[in-house]
Amino acid sequence: MGPGKIFGQGLRITIQKRRLIAYLWTITFFFSLVVVAPFYFLFQSHLSRSLLGENFFLGTDLLWIGDLIYKYQEMPPLVIGWIGGTSLLFLVLSIFLKGGIIGRIAAGEEKVTFQSFFGDCGRYFGRFFRVFLISIIGYFLVLGLFGRLLSIPFRLWSKRASTEWTTLISSALRLLVLLLIFSIVKMFFDYVRVSLVSEDSRRAVRATVGNFRFLRSRFFKAWTLFLAVGLIFVLSTCVYLIGMKALPKAGLGPVIVFVWQQAYFLMRLWTGILLFATEYQFLTVHRPPTSSRVNSDSGPPWTGQGK
Amino acid sequence: MSNTRSGLFLALFIAPLLASPLDGAQEARKQEEGSPLRYVISVELDSRGRRLFGKEEISWRNPTNDEIPDMWFHLYWNAFKNERSAMLEEFRTEGALERAGDGEGGWGYIDINRIALADGTDLTPTLEFMIPDWPAHPHDQTVARVRFPIPVGPGEEVRLQIEFESKIPRTISRSGYYRDSYFIAQWFPKPGVYEEGKGWNCHQYHMNSEFFADFADFAVEITVPAAFVVGASGKQKSAVSSADGKMVTYRFEQTRIHDFAWTADPAYIKVERNFQAAREVSEQEITELSARLGVPMEELRLPDVKMILLIKPEHKAQIERHFRALRTAIKYYGLWYGPYPYETVTMVDPPFRTGSGGMEYPTLFTAGTGVLRDNKVLSPEGVIIHEFGHSYWYGLVANNEFEEAWLDEGINTYTTGRVQDKAYGRGMFSASFSGWPLTWLVNLPRYFDFELNRLAAIMAVELDPIRTPSWLFSSRMSYAANVYMRAATCLNSLERYLGEALMLRVMRTFQMRWRYRHPRTQDFIEVVNEISGQDMSWFFEQLFFNTHNFDYGVSRLRSEEKRTLYAGVFDINGKKQEVKRADIDKARRQGREKDNQETVYVTNVTVRRFGEALLGGEARVKLRVVFEDGTEELRDWDGQDRWKSFEFEKPVPAKFAQVDPDLVWLIDSNLSNNSLKAKARRSGVIQLASRLLFWVQNVLHTLSALG
Repeated sequence: MGPGKIFGQGLRITIQKRRLIAYLWTITFFFSLVVVAPFYFLFQSHLSRSLLGENFFLGTDLLWIGDLIYKYQEMPPLVIGWIGGTSLLFLVLSIFLKGGIIGRIAAGEEKVTFQSFFGDCGRYFGRFFRVFLISIIGYFLVLGLFGRLLSIPFRLWSKRASTEWTTLISSALRLLVLLLIFSIVKMFFDYVRVSLVSEDSRRAVRATVGNFRFLRSRFFKAWTLFLAVGLIFVLSTCVYLIGMKALPKAGLGPVIVFVWQQAYFLMRLWTGILLFATEYQFLTVHRPPTSSRVNSDSGPPWTGQGK
Repeated sequence: MSNTRSGLFLALFIAPLLASPLDGAQEARKQEEGSPLRYVISVELDSRGRRLFGKEEISWRNPTNDEIPDMWFHLYWNAFKNERSAMLEEFRTEGALERAGDGEGGWGYIDINRIALADGTDLTPTLEFMIPDWPAHPHDQTVARVRFPIPVGPGEEVRLQIEFESKIPRTISRSGYYRDSYFIAQWFPKPGVYEEGKGWNCHQYHMNSEFFADFADFAVEITVPAAFVVGASGKQKSAVSSADGKMVTYRFEQTRIHDFAWTADPAYIKVERNFQAAREVSEQEITELSARLGVPMEELRLPDVKMILLIKPEHKAQIERHFRALRTAIKYYGLWYGPYPYETVTMVDPPFRTGSGGMEYPTLFTAGTGVLRDNKVLSPEGVIIHEFGHSYWYGLVANNEFEEAWLDEGINTYTTGRVQDKAYGRGMFSASFSGWPLTWLVNLPRYFDFELNRLAAIMAVELDPIRTPSWLFSSRMSYAANVYMRAATCLNSLERYLGEALMLRVMRTFQMRWRYRHPRTQDFIEVVNEISGQDMSWFFEQLFFNTHNFDYGVSRLRSEEKRTLYAGVFDINGKKQEVKRADIDKARRQGREKDNQETVYVTNVTVRRFGEALLGGEARVKLRVVFEDGTEELRDWDGQDRWKSFEFEKPVPAKFAQVDPDLVWLIDSNLSNNSLKAKARRSGVIQLASRLLFWVQNVLHTLSALG
């Protein structure tokens, strides 16, 4: 099966598993509310009785931005601590949620229910957390060390530049290369996770090593698929930004903006699920799931191909 | 030294000797005519060795009643000589010392090989480096002096001949080279300013400081390889090729300027245009301004100016943007503050990586742009208007930038904002990612210059007084925020307080009265007082000489029904009588039912001075209270005490109270406490929080890619 068909299968899965998006949006939304809540109460206590607070409706204005910065200039350590702490917590939560996403994708025709989703979250959390720890090493080695080495020629090129164009092109290329490398590392560990679910294996290290073998001969196909989904994200971001420019600021504007923003965020969530769905399809096409996985669920894998 | 250079030097030295029968170095008679300071300089660029070879003749007449035994010079390029210079030590203290001088022979310096009087008396043995500033940087070599055999008497003239050789720095600050591009500023030995009774005012080159020099007439010959395009201060008089055609000598002349800079780069595109006053300024504009300023129309007419642009090929598409901004600046600075008096102005797109962008020199300035610029972002426009504006504040009104930098940077930031706002309106925030403008994708906020200035100003208030000597600011950030933004914000507040027309008169009077002179802060205050007819000294005392935070606000707003009965025990006719809450409620109900009595509300507003800064003179805090029926009351407060309460009786409760409703005091550091509503309204805060929510959602989702 070619990447196009796999992509199509992935799309079909995400439509069938649309409830996943609802769960993810709800969880992220409420988690974000918790993160934002202290700021809301802070603004409310300081600004809700000030006429300046009404200026927020009129768009961004340096007078009130200046006031916020001045008023809260001592707060950055607290803010950084709060944002950093909650972000770490969310990172762990996202590892937990990935189990539910991939688990439900792998569950075939089975419906996504609250119970089954969180059941899979809990079921795969331990092994996914181990993958996360291994992936830290992977990111460090590839992006930290290899990425730095790779940056050297760009820096040298930029250092010898005779015009600004050289530095711009150099930095853009460097960024592009780093993004591509990042995409490879991310894709690699996605497949490790997907294979752990597909094989119903608990051996994260073994799955990681085995993944090298799996991707070695199929790398470009897998990467093309990954980048195709990535392109959807890029395009949707462009559409979102163009839309934002056109939306009204007055009247119902703020409500429309909020809806538009949430629509974009839903799109991002959908793209994330689509990514796992296509990866799962790709893996099962090229390496059929073991019987343990098949037996552990009531439904068959998505395709019988490769069995 | 090449033959061409030797020939030039010979000509330079022989010519004055032939021209003047006086061979005495110090003329005993008084010189009544001509500029008291004249420079004749010839310099050759050795682009392979990154060196300058120069000969300089300085004619200086003692304009004071002092007997002057010596002369102090700036040797600015020694700031780039090593890490022990005052400038680089200050950079190191700031944690901002980059390894700019390392590699490629990047250090720069200037050596005086010989300094002599015109009669040949060699003063070189008396040459010594001086450390005038405190805290001392004992290894600094940016100031030197020579002693005269006999003191120069009042009105006497001295002529000095200097041979110097400089190593051009790989750019550290403002001057330098990158590949074949050169920007050459502060490059020749330049005397300080002699102040009567005080001596030479000649500060070292510091990290934060700019410059100070006397007005002079310049004649400068610059010899460069033929491939170079040259731009310089003043008017180009000639360009003569050497016999072999390899070198070209450019001659520039300009009277009544106090510095001279030049640039050379083979890649420059040179474009010339004329500012045609008759086309740029309408009769209606002149008529209206004449009425506002109370100045005859003839005084407002502007001369034509030749505009020269040296621009890099990669910025060629922005030529019209550059000229439009320059025309705008010449027009409005000319109309508002006085005509631009020089024939030319040269605008230089700074050579790549020479660190010379956004800097002013007499009749020449550097702008600064990038290859990718969004039209919505007012850059390079802002920098062009600002640097041209320095022709007025620094160029013509030549304050001491070492000691009172706000007088040019603060005033010019204020006037830049006025010109930019008038010509362009709000500009969009500039933001880029890896050099690529984000404004192509995102609508970033638009702002007026004064809004951005205020943001920096309120953050810097307690760091240092605005009128702090440049090198004594606590940090580079404090210097920039106070000298530029805070001073500009204070002047904007002054404009709002005095009114736009009166402020225009203040600024124009200050400019025209102090042209070609060196005013101090007190001189500016005196002009403000004179033109406004008020003593505004308190304003400067509070906001320029101190670190007082300006913050007035409303701390309490309360409306309640007026009562005729009060609870408690009262002595009535010798008896104790208790009034209960229930009695009060009953009386209130009965009053309403029987008499259809109109309820009266008592509104109490407390206005508070949260900051240390005090209003003075005739200035008052204006309080506006708006009531539910739309009526409003205005009150004034002198703002001297910490707080004052105001009481109002109205048939309706108050809706909100607001101090400074016209936003006169832009320098107020906390505008959100300037108003207080009776009831909280959360919708604005909810909107702000919802924006934040969206960003948090996206950041978290992006982060989850790692998990």
